[in-house]
Amino acid sequence: MSNFDDIVGREGLSADEEARLRRVHDLLVQAGPPPDLPPGLERPPTAPTEAEIVQFPLLPRRRWTLAAVAAIALVLLAFGGGYLVGHGKTKPTSFATKRVVPMHGGNAVAFLRVASKDSAGNWPMELEVNNLPTQSNRRAYYELWLTRNGKPAAPCGTFRVNARTTTVRLSVPYDFKRFNGWVVTRQGANDLEAGPVVLST
Amino acid sequence: MRLVTSDGELIQRAATGDHSAFEDLYHRYARPVFGLALRRLGDRGRAEDAVQETFASIWRSAASYRPERGPGAPWLYAVARNAIVDRARSRTEIPADIPDEAAADPGPSDRAEQGWVAWRVHRALEELPEREREVLALAYWSGLSQSEVAEFLSIPLGTVKTRTRAALAKLSDILGDELQ
Repeated sequence: MSNFDDIVGREGLSADEEARLRRVHDLLVQAGPPPDLPPGLERPPTAPTEAEIVQFPLLPRRRWTLAAVAAIALVLLAFGGGYLVGHGKTKPTSFATKRVVPMHGGNAVAFLRVASKDSAGNWPMELEVNNLPTQSNRRAYYELWLTRNGKPAAPCGTFRVNARTTTVRLSVPYDFKRFNGWVVTRQGANDLEAGPVVLST
Repeated sequence: MRLVTSDGELIQRAATGDHSAFEDLYHRYARPVFGLALRRLGDRGRAEDAVQETFASIWRSAASYRPERGPGAPWLYAVARNAIVDRARSRTEIPADIPDEAAADPGPSDRAEQGWVAWRVHRALEELPEREREVLALAYWSGLSQSEVAEFLSIPLGTVKTRTRAALAKLSDILGDELQ
């Protein structure tokens, strides 16, 4: 039933008021019913309580300036390229982000999303990199590191890129309080040490 | 007089890392985003993922919002649409045969118009008191007559009519320009 007379009726309404309510009625009919939210969407994906927030000692609030710059860069890249984020080609499904760490270097930007520590003591992470060049060598790759005093100190995983945006899932068991930043390095096929830094916090 | 914090203010606060502002935005827009994603993707699982990605994008990109360029709702709609289109694109396959006849489905501009209307209306519904929202839902989308709504809710028929008109009047105020 979606007849105005049946649902709202005209009795006691002025012509103006009837016209006003009828316009809303028509929009409701046009819009259709709002969907029921699935249980997984009842809470915001990034609404951590204070206790859940990952503490990065040397990534204080002022880093949000960098986050803003990186976000703007990403949006500019995105609109210029015809999409906002992600290429979809390598994008996994949803991720319960608790903290986002922006990184940048040259024309490239990245967002490291960190979830809550799991029961085994691992920090699940999702790294989205944009505009990193694809590897020239089939055995070359990139590597994410936690840094101490600006130097790569603990490896967090390796990955390759084959699109403008690449998203990979990683996991580390480290205590983040012992470190003070993140970098991504470019690794050659035979590199045993950390290579040149291409992205940093 | 409505004293609700505007979407634009919430986006600006979210840009500074204000989680409560972000949560307010989520509660206002989770359903409209999910609805938009469902329309476009036609699959609840993928739509759910699109909602997660949309809000991650909003969180990351909030600093790019410029209030002088317009209110928050269109900006949020653009972010959502991009995230959803991006997800749709990841599964788009080239059809083996080109159809002989034009599809009867609405064209892209019609779909965009319908999507925008649904977005604004579903967003506005979130601002209604629960008791008014449920009366509208039963009357408009459950196929019940006003008498059946009254019986279902165990309230007088006059109350159903009063709540229906009050809800429509509030929606009219909230939607504002949409009705011009």
